[in-house]
Amino acid sequence: MRSLFSPTFLSIVFIALLSSANTSLAATFKIATLSPDGSAWMVKMRAAGKDIEAQTNGRVKFKFYPGGVMGSDSAVIRKMKIGQLHGGALTGGALAKAAPDTQIYNLPFMFKSFAEVDYVRERMDDKIIQSFADAGYTVFGLAEGGFAYMLANRSITDFDTLKQGKIWAPDNDILVQRSMESFELGTIPLALGDVLPSLQTGMVDTVATSPIGAIALQWHTQVTHITDMPLLYFYGILALNNKAYKKVSDDDKVIVSHVMNSAFKAIDKINRQDNIDAFEALQALGIQRVEMNPADKTMMQGQADALAQTMLNNKQFSQPIFDEIQTLLTEFRGAAE
Amino acid sequence: MITRSCPQLMIRFILLATLTVTTGCSSIISNQTAKLANSLSTAILDNDDLQVVADGAPAYLIMIDALISSSPKSDSLLRAGSSLNGAYASAFVTDTDRRLKMTEKSLAYAEQAACIEIKTLCDVRQLSYQQLSKALATEKSSSVPVLYTLGTAWAGWIQSRSSDWKAVGALANVKLILETIVALDEGYENGNAHLYLGVLGTVLPPALGGKPEIGAHHFQKAIDLSQGKNLIAKVFYAENYARLVFDRDIHDRLLNEVIAADAKTAGYTLMNTVAQQQARALLASADDYF
Repeated sequence: MRSLFSPTFLSIVFIALLSSANTSLAATFKIATLSPDGSAWMVKMRAAGKDIEAQTNGRVKFKFYPGGVMGSDSAVIRKMKIGQLHGGALTGGALAKAAPDTQIYNLPFMFKSFAEVDYVRERMDDKIIQSFADAGYTVFGLAEGGFAYMLANRSITDFDTLKQGKIWAPDNDILVQRSMESFELGTIPLALGDVLPSLQTGMVDTVATSPIGAIALQWHTQVTHITDMPLLYFYGILALNNKAYKKVSDDDKVIVSHVMNSAFKAIDKINRQDNIDAFEALQALGIQRVEMNPADKTMMQGQADALAQTMLNNKQFSQPIFDEIQTLLTEFRGAAE
Repeated sequence: MITRSCPQLMIRFILLATLTVTTGCSSIISNQTAKLANSLSTAILDNDDLQVVADGAPAYLIMIDALISSSPKSDSLLRAGSSLNGAYASAFVTDTDRRLKMTEKSLAYAEQAACIEIKTLCDVRQLSYQQLSKALATEKSSSVPVLYTLGTAWAGWIQSRSSDWKAVGALANVKLILETIVALDEGYENGNAHLYLGVLGTVLPPALGGKPEIGAHHFQKAIDLSQGKNLIAKVFYAENYARLVFDRDIHDRLLNEVIAADAKTAGYTLMNTVAQQQARALLASADDYF
């Protein structure tokens, strides 16, 4: 922690007192997120905000708009562009248009285990963060959201059984819809809020989410099986618009960066453990864990690879980032064998 | 078919679970005992000194334990023991281990009471959502008192274990019990089941599939059914609904109404005293929040 009485701090205060426009040194960052107030994510971010405010003697403040009151991720990004908001706690893929390489972790079937995630993230997170920076956003570390798994009211251990189901797809997620198309799976697009009632009425019978999501959204009450096959990995970020962040002095940036990085490391760790615990809890609550048969798993992996190749050809992410992640995964899988 | 939304379940339950110690007259316990228990619960509810209640209630907890031990089949005593342990743990116990023990005792007493009255609810914690739903489908309004004790004790038990995902997973079952109560006799305990449903209905924002308006409806019902006497209902309405939807007008109006009201109302004085303290704290932090 920086001392409030460091020479740098005192010189900043001195300059601020001399300057008639001293408010230019003060910044209040308006941050919006879908995360509800009181969630671990919000608790950590609020605490970090207070810490930063104290350490910068009030020069840097954070004001949070939780629970989606500022709209969806895309609405938040629009508001960031026009300066109505200065930042957002967003899902990692939300800024994919501006920073395409940041969605590389989110591709279907990219990772098979948390061990693979850890190996890759340790070596690539800095590059992902740099991609955000190149697009004009300062990001303080990635916070794991976890793996999404398939949950259904029947045992899904083969592709045909999956295909026969009434599969939900989020109505606003193009990547997921494209993934489903590439698997030749018909889907029923619905808003998140309509999923639980649709499961209750049988309008859909197959969903995918993280173990935490399954319990938090109470979908676990309407399903009987979880297929232990990670479908995709997702993460969250706190992104500040650089246009706003540049108003912060270099010394204060050190404080902001240190505190927020620590907060995101903590969230990253908590979410990992929560998902592991929630996966076990689902089974304790009577949800049966099943495995996809190896042949169909390989077939689906092949389709996911083909989708990745198509996205690469369409320049939806860069060749170097794709090559790097493939090299690392090959390296890890080779060593694991 | 994949959601990237991954909310931590936030459970903001009732700080002060109702200190309703419904002892009633059972054929198993003497009239004198029942009278004493009723008088004590009234004295607690009508007290405006939280410290006195915090200091004095443990003696009553021990007394109830003793009475249950000598009359283990008394559903009314079991319900009283459940309510008192749960309420005391929620309101006054900060030590995690003690809180876990007290909420476990509260739920265990509630389960025993439920099992005596409704055989299909024996081992209720082991029932799946569908099994519980089936068991509750045939219940009548005479089951409401025991269901209320079970639902509220279970809610307090989960609140004390909010980092345990198996416990959080049982929240849907608690909601089912509370919805059954509302369907059978929504006015029971002045509509308190609505208060719990209000909190449960405002856990998730609309962006994550929540329907806060349903929560708001339950809060309003809790206010109406208590004829506006239950001030904590307005506090929870402000804290859980108005903050969730970022409506400062509703937030401040409700809290100012709480502060302006007379806390001393028979049966509500203790809760209303807490409500006024909370209302002041929420108003003080409103500029920061909104």
